[in-house]
Amino acid sequence: MTNQSQKKDTIVIGLGNILFSDEGIGVHLIRKLSENQGKFPSVEFIDAGTGGLNILHLIANRKKAVIIDCVKMGKNPGTIKRFEPADVKTVKKMMHFSLHEADILRIIELSRQLGECPDQIVIFGIEPESLELGQNLSETLTDKIDLYIDTITKSFS
Amino acid sequence: MHNNVNINVHHITRVEGHGNIVVNVKEGKIEKLQWQVPEAPRFFEAMVRGHSYQDIQTIVSRICGICSITHSLAATKAVEAALGIKVSEQTDKLRILMHYSEQLQSHVLHVGYLAAPDFFGTPSVVPLVARAADAVKTIVKAHRIANTWSDLIAGRTTHPVTLTPGGLTKIPTEKQLRQLQQTLKDAVPDLKKIAEVVLSVAANVPKFERPTEYVSLKQTTPPTYTFYHGGITSNDNKGAVMPIEKWHDVANEYVVEQSTAKWTKWHRDAYAVGALARFNNNAELLSPMAKDAAKVFGLQKGCCNPYMNTVAQLVECFHVVETSIEIIDQLLTRGLKTEKVTSSPKAGKGSGCVEAPRGILFHDYEFDKNGKCVAADICIPTGQNHANIQKDFEKLLPEILDQPEKDIRLKLEMLVRAYDPCISCSTHFLDVQFVK
Repeated sequence: MTNQSQKKDTIVIGLGNILFSDEGIGVHLIRKLSENQGKFPSVEFIDAGTGGLNILHLIANRKKAVIIDCVKMGKNPGTIKRFEPADVKTVKKMMHFSLHEADILRIIELSRQLGECPDQIVIFGIEPESLELGQNLSETLTDKIDLYIDTITKSFS
Repeated sequence: MHNNVNINVHHITRVEGHGNIVVNVKEGKIEKLQWQVPEAPRFFEAMVRGHSYQDIQTIVSRICGICSITHSLAATKAVEAALGIKVSEQTDKLRILMHYSEQLQSHVLHVGYLAAPDFFGTPSVVPLVARAADAVKTIVKAHRIANTWSDLIAGRTTHPVTLTPGGLTKIPTEKQLRQLQQTLKDAVPDLKKIAEVVLSVAANVPKFERPTEYVSLKQTTPPTYTFYHGGITSNDNKGAVMPIEKWHDVANEYVVEQSTAKWTKWHRDAYAVGALARFNNNAELLSPMAKDAAKVFGLQKGCCNPYMNTVAQLVECFHVVETSIEIIDQLLTRGLKTEKVTSSPKAGKGSGCVEAPRGILFHDYEFDKNGKCVAADICIPTGQNHANIQKDFEKLLPEILDQPEKDIRLKLEMLVRAYDPCISCSTHFLDVQFVK
């Protein structure tokens, strides 16, 4: 069983479903980031898939949480944007708004009320091009993987 | 009695995925009453075709973020049946432990985060913190224990990585199992606290009954309150147990206009699956603490109040924890052994069936001589409950038509939520609007 005191200060969580093309970008990026775990000893990388409310437990009592997810922002496909929970007024699931696949803002609010929320939460949203059934990312997102990794790793410091 | 009632609940909250409730009553006459599932059909079966038998459980684990262990277990069992692979007793017990961790995860999630707000009259669990902080903290603690438990045996909280045809790629150490056992023993008082909290608001569970068929697994050798082994039974099947390979003859899937998900029926025009179905078919086999919990809530075999499914889930929380403490004892007494897992491809067809937290789940696969998947079929529990929800609506609405429209709406929503449906279990992407 994981000891709370053994937790690393920063957690980077990749969300998404790899069965639906770009929907799985968060998971794909976590896999890539994990290959360089040695460079980031105080960072824990987690592929949380569509685990929803489990985020509550993953972020508990960390100093910093970084969440990577496919986000519909009305931007050009492939755009990566960094934001914090306070920057957005609604975070809803297009297909699955529910507390099973929980609204991240609501999870963060619950975390705050329980007194275990990280001081800093950063979300990296990536605009999808394709959400069709398929286990490969679109070419647009594939071509930008290095850019995404670079942008995200800069936030660890 | 109201002359006119119009309810249009689109995307009912606190359930997984999209489902709509539509009620039109004109001059006291029910013109339309539907439980609609308008989600686009998903072709998960197509996702596994062409893939190796060794990869199926990993792919299907992504179908759902809540039942990922269950889907992986059903797939692994089906693959092993197709290829004639037997597993050791140690693997079997560790897999059951893994499965129980997900039952606890999912049940605590449903009872604590999704159903409790209905009983307390709050829109979600967040405002509940202010009203019942200790209760919410206990629920979060129990959920956290279940997650850590899954981490240990499945290699991850969600989307397990240790399952493989023929065994497990990694097993816990005896020390870790002993720690888990202690954690589970320590969790019992927390479960009792959660039960007390639910009992304190149990008067808000609507009184509604509709006899129906309850379908679940049943294990006779040895007699066990099963989530994993056994065959298919129902209260209409006179105690007979069908082999799981015959699940198509149970589900009898059919298409209806109001739903993109297929509906099912067996002996009647609808059947129910889930915790209440398991309880109604196997209650006498529950662990002692689970039986005590059922007694406290007055839950008895033959209960046909669908709202009590939530209570049955709570009862099962006690069962999986108490039984897991025993299973760990058995594993530690024998001593854990490192087992070599081997399998080789061959042509074959097999079925796998396990109880997901929300009901019986069927997986079928067929492989060619190279072990490539050529056909797949999955029948999820939520799909099996859709027809039953509709039939419940048809009995419930006339009984509550004299109530205010908001109460009618709430009771219909609570009914759907009681089934703990997982309508689509797949994508979750965010849609945001920026403040600045």
